[in-house]
Amino acid sequence: MSIPVLQSEKKHLENVFDMQSLFEFSNVVNASLDLKFIFNHFILTLMGKLLSLRGIVLLERKPGIFCIESVKGLPSDLINTEIRIAKIPKRMINIEREDIRKNPWLKLFKINEIHFLLPLITRDRIVGIAGVSPDRRKKKLNKQAMAYLKSIANIAAAAIDKGLYINELAVINKQLDRKIQELKTLFEVGKEFNGVLDADRVVKLLLFSVMGQIGVNRYVLCLTQGGEMEVISSRLDKEFDRKLCAYFPSIESPILIGNLKRKADQAVQKQLMDVGIQVLVPLKLQNQTKGILGLGEKLNRETYSKKDLEFLSSLGNLAVISLENARLFREAIEKQRLEDELLIAKEIQRGLLPAKLPAIPTFDVAATNISSKQVGGDYYDIITLSHEHYVLAIGDVSGKGTPASLLMANLQATIRALVPLGLSLGELTKRVNDLICENTGSGRFITFFWGILHVESRTFKYVNAGHNQPILLRADSTIEKLDKGGMILGIMKAPNPYQEGEVTINTGDVLVLFTDGVSEAMNSKGEEMGEERMENVIRMNSKESADTILSKIVEDVREYSRNTVQSDDITLVVLKAIIPDCSLEN
Amino acid sequence: MSNFKIDIREKENINVIDLKGYLDAHTAPELEKIFQNLIEVQKFNIVVNCEELNYISSAGLGVFMAYIEDVRKHNGDIKLSNMSAKVYNVFDLLGFPLLYDIAKDEAEAIKKFISVKK
Repeated sequence: MSIPVLQSEKKHLENVFDMQSLFEFSNVVNASLDLKFIFNHFILTLMGKLLSLRGIVLLERKPGIFCIESVKGLPSDLINTEIRIAKIPKRMINIEREDIRKNPWLKLFKINEIHFLLPLITRDRIVGIAGVSPDRRKKKLNKQAMAYLKSIANIAAAAIDKGLYINELAVINKQLDRKIQELKTLFEVGKEFNGVLDADRVVKLLLFSVMGQIGVNRYVLCLTQGGEMEVISSRLDKEFDRKLCAYFPSIESPILIGNLKRKADQAVQKQLMDVGIQVLVPLKLQNQTKGILGLGEKLNRETYSKKDLEFLSSLGNLAVISLENARLFREAIEKQRLEDELLIAKEIQRGLLPAKLPAIPTFDVAATNISSKQVGGDYYDIITLSHEHYVLAIGDVSGKGTPASLLMANLQATIRALVPLGLSLGELTKRVNDLICENTGSGRFITFFWGILHVESRTFKYVNAGHNQPILLRADSTIEKLDKGGMILGIMKAPNPYQEGEVTINTGDVLVLFTDGVSEAMNSKGEEMGEERMENVIRMNSKESADTILSKIVEDVREYSRNTVQSDDITLVVLKAIIPDCSLEN
Repeated sequence: MSNFKIDIREKENINVIDLKGYLDAHTAPELEKIFQNLIEVQKFNIVVNCEELNYISSAGLGVFMAYIEDVRKHNGDIKLSNMSAKVYNVFDLLGFPLLYDIAKDEAEAIKKFISVKK
């Protein structure tokens, strides 16, 4: 049973209802910042008012591009569909009265049986558009209904506009937070890098920070070491071809592998993609690419942003400074260690050389050893066997520094232990060789020359084991070279005693034993001095004392190799027969 | 002076790591060592309790990135629990909730391991 209501009263009630509903709607949508909720509520309110079975809301996402955000009574896969609307109507329109050929974008609404389109306007700006299809009975909308719809659209538009702003703010805020996080990471890692001189730790920190910040766990890190780019650490699903490193030094700024367009890059691009590398970031120091960080796909499958690349560059450059510092530190330590070692080597060597030469009757003898900076393994010795027998020895141990010094000490000990056995020089040399062979590792050897001088007969028996042939300058200016002997010591055990040579050293004769530091002294052009030049110096000074001859030779070597660094030890022994045979008899 | 501490204990056959203090570039290698040790002795079910974790930096997150695959390859997982809002914020900012199982509390994390086994 219905109560009859006056027409005017009904209108009044409708008015009140509209007002109430507007008020409620405004309260609800303005209280929310959730766009989805606002769309939903808006569309349902419209549909309720118009008894519509269908509703749709679109937002302008980019200028002229509208995106379907929410639908009711229509397939939900319409959501996110974008359409281009060149000119959006400023007022509500009835699609059935519009010319579709002029406005093809209306087709979408027509096929979905949307009849009315309502622009969402706030602050004179269209933010979106809503569509409904009123019930047949409501097809003709009166003025009041139109005003209601317009109001509701305006309220919704303002709420949506606010929601969009807030959303945008949230996005910006998140970006800002991320930027802060990046800066924090750079700051923290930078601080940590500064205190670390251990390259392995720097590499580890770099990789951890990259993995954590970017969300990636596939990488390859290459660094320049000794002029060439080498793989330092990698974690890839396929093996990384080291040859790719050759391509890296040319990279000056971060690159996304997918963006490589040049034909020259295609082969490399394919290879990098095959091993899963998506981006290459150069690690630069003073504008030089010192290393490369290659990264795989991010675990969230997003592509690398410009910001990511900026962050990676900054972090990588920080790391490279630290790695360079670590390298310099390591080098300084190594240098110090070498210098300490050389000092030890020098001391050993000095300790082995005779502190004072024995006086040999009727002979004048002089000897010197000038060690180079690196300390070669030169050795000389003059041993008194009896008042008539003296041993003269000179040798050059292969290599430099402490190992050479130690082998030299070994040689000296062996000689001193074996000489008193009274064996022939050839047999002694064999035994020295065999012992040295047993005591040294491969690749070490000694060139060695020694002889026993018999003062009374002035005979000099000698064995030359691969050493520079000593020069015997006769009083008549002819030169003999003492070349009898055998192979270098320390290569292999000798099957037989070494061959012995014998010469007589007469008054006025000068015997010079030397090492290759003399004959192979280099001039600034890198040319060796040679023995001939030394022979001339000896000849020119043969009337002088052994000491003078020796210093003249040294002077000449210095003169020849002026402006160069002495690269090897210089060792000389000069023996001169001075007093005539008869004087002894007297 | 390190204001970072790691404790490790076992609960219902799950290895629980308690992190305390600041996990940053300086302390990250300590956590790495713990993961390495667990993986070495074939313990792949790991819960990291972050209740007393005050701060985590990217380098700290990087350690999780470096070992998660090794653990998952052996049907295990590294689950995180009891995160403060501040620490969670960093995880969230860098997109970690997509990649890691983050539980409200330790019991929930352990339950997840056990229910998977059944």
